[in-house]
Amino acid sequence: MNDDGLDLEDRYRRVLRLLPGYYRDRWEEDMVAALLDSRMTGDEDEDYYVLVYGRPGWPEVASVAALAIRLYLGGAGTPRRYFAWGQAVRRAVLAVLLVHATQGLADLTLLAWRRHLAAWFRPLPASLAAPAPSSAWPTVMNTVDYAWIVIFLALVLGHHRTARAIAALAVATELVVLLQAQFADILLRPLGTWSSWFLVSLAPVLAMAAFHQDAPPTARRPWLLALPGYYLLVPVPLMVIQVTGNQAWLPDSAGLGCLVVGLACLAHAPRALSRSRQAAGCGVWSLALTLLAAVAGAWRIVTLGNYVHDPHLMRVSLAELVILLAAVAVVAPDAARAQMPAPAPPPYPHPG
Amino acid sequence: MAVKPMTGQAFFVLSALADGPRHGYGIVGEVADLSHGRVKLKIGGLYGVLDRLTAERLIEPDREEAHDGRLRRYYRLTSGGRHALAEEAELRAATARVVRARLGLAGGEAAG
Repeated sequence: MNDDGLDLEDRYRRVLRLLPGYYRDRWEEDMVAALLDSRMTGDEDEDYYVLVYGRPGWPEVASVAALAIRLYLGGAGTPRRYFAWGQAVRRAVLAVLLVHATQGLADLTLLAWRRHLAAWFRPLPASLAAPAPSSAWPTVMNTVDYAWIVIFLALVLGHHRTARAIAALAVATELVVLLQAQFADILLRPLGTWSSWFLVSLAPVLAMAAFHQDAPPTARRPWLLALPGYYLLVPVPLMVIQVTGNQAWLPDSAGLGCLVVGLACLAHAPRALSRSRQAAGCGVWSLALTLLAAVAGAWRIVTLGNYVHDPHLMRVSLAELVILLAAVAVVAPDAARAQMPAPAPPPYPHPG
Repeated sequence: MAVKPMTGQAFFVLSALADGPRHGYGIVGEVADLSHGRVKLKIGGLYGVLDRLTAERLIEPDREEAHDGRLRRYYRLTSGGRHALAEEAELRAATARVVRARLGLAGGEAAG
């Protein structure tokens, strides 16, 4: 017998535990039968050996894992709580990509300004002038910033594979640049930089798996309008603050994330609260904002270490965290209601 | 409202059931045969498609049979599934005729 006391069927059942319970109730027996059938050769001795000692193949495990992602981040036809999670993750991903894309637009604006493409502007202040690059890496990072615009637009317009492919390339490039800086010992705040890459670049790109074939199409118009809207509301005022020499008022990236998500929670609060009175519990936006708040909060906490020697900035950072927590507390009950399980759909009829 | 186009996997699974009911692994084998080995369904992918087609009432369970101590569930096309498959097959055949004509191959539609 095996060391773990399991045979192939037990191992397949263990893999199938990746799937949601309602789905296993419908399909587990059928899937186990098909998985075992796929391993049978017709040779009695060999089949016996496989049934006792065989292990699930990685391609089958990967296909079950991919199915699990599709079901937990549900699309049409999945139970309400999984659909709510799927929609919330999709909106949170789009929101993060929107921020990346507007950063790319801001970079393009500065590039145009530096190259005097807009003649009516006064010369770029020294604080925004780019130092002469000593290597190709800054150019590479700028290119990645511009790529986020394409990724965001591709995702909104429904070209999910294109968006995923370019996004994978973008995060891989960022990883190479960061590793190069790490090994060259020129990374100023390694913890903050790496956590930023993980939380704001890698995690959203992985979460793009929520844009699978069962996902409903993205509402194009509001997201396309959000691109110039957010650009005018956040990056432009920040550039104005920089241009006017008031950099001291600028929060760092993690702080900005806390403030923006906090404000978004407060803006959404009237809807979340009215929904709570109706007990409709369909607060997908509340759930998306809670996810974004979790990311922003984690980012802020991880980067607090940057300010251990600066009590003023430490107080400012903690204040940003408190604002975020207070704002997300308003929408969190609605987010919790969105996840409440509805009665599971009835199992498919058995042949009779 | 726009009708969602049928995916390649769904087309092959429905095609595998066109001449009679099949169980899960039987569908995998038939799809591989139909596609000349180009489409190799994994079990996770197969049951994603079967779940969707069942929810859309294009297929339904037919019967269960015991085999080596396990129950095999067979699936069959519904009348809606037969109709959807026929429509999709016609669409693909029409596309193939146009492509063949543009390539100047035999069996293509005459240019108008």
